[in-house]
Amino acid sequence: MTDEANKKGPESTRRKFLTATTALAGAALAGLPGVAGAERKRNPKRGGTVRFGTRDDSVGLDTHRNFIYFVSQPMAGTTGGLLDFDAGMNIVPAIATEWEPSKDLKTWTFKLRRGAEFHNGETIDANAVKWNLERILDPKIGHSFNRSALTDIDRITVDDKFVVQCHLKEPSAAFDSNLVYYPVNLIAPGAVDKADTEPVGCGPFKFKSWKRFDICELVRFENFWETDSEGNTLPYLDGLIGRPKKEDRVRLTALRAGEVDLIDNVAYADAPSFMKDYGKTYDTFPVPQVGTAFIAFNLKNGPFSAKDNPDAHMLRQAAAHAIDHEGIHEAVFNKQGEIAKGFYSKSSPWYGKDIKSWPEFDPDKAKALRKKAKDGDAKLLIIANDSFPYMQQSGELVHAMLKDVGFNVTFEIHPTPVVQDKYNKGTFDLDSSANSYRLDPDGWFSRSILSTAPETMRRHGYKNEKVDQLILAARVERDKDKRRQMYADVDSLINQDLPLVYTHFVSLLQAGTKKLKGYKPAFTGPFQYAGGGMRTAWLEN
Amino acid sequence: MLAYIIRRIFYLVPVLFVLTVVVFTFVEMLPGNIIDTLVGTEGNNDPEVRKILEKEYGLDQPVYVRYAKWLFRAVQGDFGMSLVTRRPVSVELLSGIPATVYLAVVGISLSMLIAVPLGTIAAVKRNTPIDYTAQVTSLIGISIPEFWFAILCVLFFSLYLGWLPSSGFANPFEDPWASLKFLILPAAAVGFRQAAYTTRLTRSSMLDEMNKEYVDTARSVGLSESKVIFKYTLRNAMIPTITISGLQLANLLGGTVVLESIFAWPGIGRAIFEAILQRDYPLVQAGVLVLGCIVVVMNLLVDLTYRLLNPRVKLG
Repeated sequence: MTDEANKKGPESTRRKFLTATTALAGAALAGLPGVAGAERKRNPKRGGTVRFGTRDDSVGLDTHRNFIYFVSQPMAGTTGGLLDFDAGMNIVPAIATEWEPSKDLKTWTFKLRRGAEFHNGETIDANAVKWNLERILDPKIGHSFNRSALTDIDRITVDDKFVVQCHLKEPSAAFDSNLVYYPVNLIAPGAVDKADTEPVGCGPFKFKSWKRFDICELVRFENFWETDSEGNTLPYLDGLIGRPKKEDRVRLTALRAGEVDLIDNVAYADAPSFMKDYGKTYDTFPVPQVGTAFIAFNLKNGPFSAKDNPDAHMLRQAAAHAIDHEGIHEAVFNKQGEIAKGFYSKSSPWYGKDIKSWPEFDPDKAKALRKKAKDGDAKLLIIANDSFPYMQQSGELVHAMLKDVGFNVTFEIHPTPVVQDKYNKGTFDLDSSANSYRLDPDGWFSRSILSTAPETMRRHGYKNEKVDQLILAARVERDKDKRRQMYADVDSLINQDLPLVYTHFVSLLQAGTKKLKGYKPAFTGPFQYAGGGMRTAWLEN
Repeated sequence: MLAYIIRRIFYLVPVLFVLTVVVFTFVEMLPGNIIDTLVGTEGNNDPEVRKILEKEYGLDQPVYVRYAKWLFRAVQGDFGMSLVTRRPVSVELLSGIPATVYLAVVGISLSMLIAVPLGTIAAVKRNTPIDYTAQVTSLIGISIPEFWFAILCVLFFSLYLGWLPSSGFANPFEDPWASLKFLILPAAAVGFRQAAYTTRLTRSSMLDEMNKEYVDTARSVGLSESKVIFKYTLRNAMIPTITISGLQLANLLGGTVVLESIFAWPGIGRAIFEAILQRDYPLVQAGVLVLGCIVVVMNLLVDLTYRLLNPRVKLG
């Protein structure tokens, strides 16, 4: 769906979806047997088992308990959300074919696809959806990421076998964006006892076997609800074998040795030479934005906090002037992707065109401001999580840039529990971090910028009343253009107040054999992509 | 012999007890905890949720209570559940240990097959081109980092020659041929480096033994040189080699995290490494305990091997 189509918000979205749904989906809405009941056509191009070399592997199999990363964990292919998204990053029908909010935006009604089923044949009905949402919301079960996206839910009701309603604590125009795969993933209630060993989902592929750090085998789900434009069943592939290979070069070698058909996360350093040297032998699939990297300041305490230092903002300005974004673009990302001035890149429908930029790179100004500001010589600590190389490399580079302008700064890389501990205790000054792409800006701004959000309070402690007002107003604004502008205004204020400095969009390059046809990943990786990704891929004989 | 073995097994108990106390203490002292991992980076850091999770995992109890409960269950063979994967710890360990044992045993066997003949020949042909070649080769083997040698092997045998897969694993009981192909490069990477050390050790042990009087006596009574070398000298010279190889094997069983990453080998090293990073206490505890047992048992086997090599060696 285009920006224009999205402009009028949820109600027009619904009308657009109704006209855009396929004939079979229309039949489903009318109460006729759906895809599962119709004659299933098979695309002659279908077939093959893709061997997919991934950087990550799932921690466990229960998709509610574990965080299943959509880009790099084949297990994401076994499940799906209530809604889906398309190549333009717009929300489109999936298990729910029609949805709309109440006038006060506090109740969202979802009408479900008839005939859609879980891999064990269980019907995906309203009770199953309710059970899934409630299970994710259970703090003893749901992974924090999944749970945090659904915390707006006050209660869930079932009005009909195929109609489910979510009643929210607060009004939200963005709630539907929280019911896509990431973070909601539906599993069969009847198979919950085996969720940790033989998960039963509703995605395009069925679980076959998994051995952590070794192999993940999936096979085509014959009754997957989605069809291509000609009515052929998806996915085309017979199956998929995930081969986790953590090291970037190891995956690349495995591709070149013909041991895998597709790899994710080609290292930024390898990408230009790989495309130049092997572009004729392999296809590359760039994904412009899977997240946004930034350097966050600790505003809760220390030299960058107004609580402890009256010149905290001047000191943050000094640090921001010291950051050479072009340097990060070249040295860390090897000129892949774009420099970020806001949370969304040009490839996103939420891209803000007129965001006022952060302070430009000016080492002399940085030195002058640092000298002028109180605590300009204070000892500072930059931290980075060890999970992603670009966070560490950006941290190292910023460390060098700050040192160049006279900051007394050290740099440390830590595993997640230590980084979390430092957030909780406020024992850091700068943090080289990133946030994954949010389908709706509310997912970023309400959770990580709004001053009352637990994550904001815990990590950087930013507070600006105008920013809060804009975020809260945008949440209940139905007009998409107006919302986009509000979020652009928030990013402009962020670039002025400097609780963080956006540095770069985190792009992704996948590479695959020429035999892999019909494959184009979205920002959501290979699986959760209506009419694309692994669902429409096949292997040529 | 049996009494000695029983006595040694009995000694295991205090060693492992101390090991568990040390590991529990160290893991406890590490900054950050599992709750920080579980509540995640996406907010929802509600104190109530933390309390619920702490109670769920028993982390609301004092450390000595948790340790006592863990120990009580562990002596019954129940290591509990992994806090991260929510699967039984025994399942997690058993999914990684066979691959690690497979690689370590084949790697050490390969190193012995290379090192013992090479070290012996180098000693017998002392100060000849054969000796110099053996010494230089082993020096190179010691000097080259294991991961670098592994990468070279992958580049040459997988990419340029295309003879062997660059990474991966196959179960030897399900597909022996594929398993062998996956095994060769990592086993070579393990074996050649260990062989470099063992060659030098075997050579120097052989030289020591060859200077002893019993060797002169054996020669003076007219025994053939091959009999003197292989039946008498080598058997005695093997004692330090066996000792070091046993320790090398125990060390490899502890996990070769770097090689497991390079060859995408699903061993126990990476599983324990990830568990440490995530503060998955039960898995770390059980993993270290099992590896501790392996080291102690390996030492016992090495001691018993002395006796086989030289019946005059008295055990205990």
